[in-house]
Amino acid sequence: MGESLSDQDWRIRLYIYQFFVAHGRPPSHDEAAQHFRLTPDEARAAYHRLHDQHTLFLEPGADAVRMANPLSAVPTDFRVYVGDMAYWANCAWDSLGIPAMLGADARIQAGLAHSGEAVRYVVTNGTLQAEPFLVHFPLPFTRWYDDLVHT
Amino acid sequence: MLLFRSEDEIDAWCAARTEPRGETLSLDIVWALSQAWYGNRISPSYRGRTQEEARRVFAEVGLTSPFWQS
Repeated sequence: MGESLSDQDWRIRLYIYQFFVAHGRPPSHDEAAQHFRLTPDEARAAYHRLHDQHTLFLEPGADAVRMANPLSAVPTDFRVYVGDMAYWANCAWDSLGIPAMLGADARIQAGLAHSGEAVRYVVTNGTLQAEPFLVHFPLPFTRWYDDLVHT
Repeated sequence: MLLFRSEDEIDAWCAARTEPRGETLSLDIVWALSQAWYGNRISPSYRGRTQEEARRVFAEVGLTSPFWQS
């Protein structure tokens, strides 16, 4: 873990989430710099502090946001449709995390891991409608940040 | 966390890839967990979650085994 986060860092984190929800992709640190009237280096440093504190996750060795859980910046087996927007979720849990975070109805298209079968489930008025699927959590909570992509 | 139809499928998946075999939750429980875990994620007052707070969220939906302890 790196240095602790300032109020400004938390505002930048909120901006990243709100931008991601509105546009279906995370903002670059240049876009955050323009929004907050920071230099690109200041915004880049904030992105890395947010990464170091596990509030979001950057691409390895890069400055771009890969995960702002439950949202993914890269395609996955979990596509979540909310109104006119479509999002990638990081995993099966996060596919339901998106409607939970947004307090919205959602339609989810997912791929079953073992068979590759494409399946759907929906959240309507706070109720999940789905076949009796199972979600596998491979690692205990204490190890979730050891290898985030794996979990 | 991946999606399956049965415990047998999970066993086969893990065995074929030497993946660790962890815990299985129904999608209904995962929906309850999602609401507790992500419900405030875009609140302006959100400031992350301590391990103790995470443990309380898990307990809210009945996840109290050592797997869910910090």
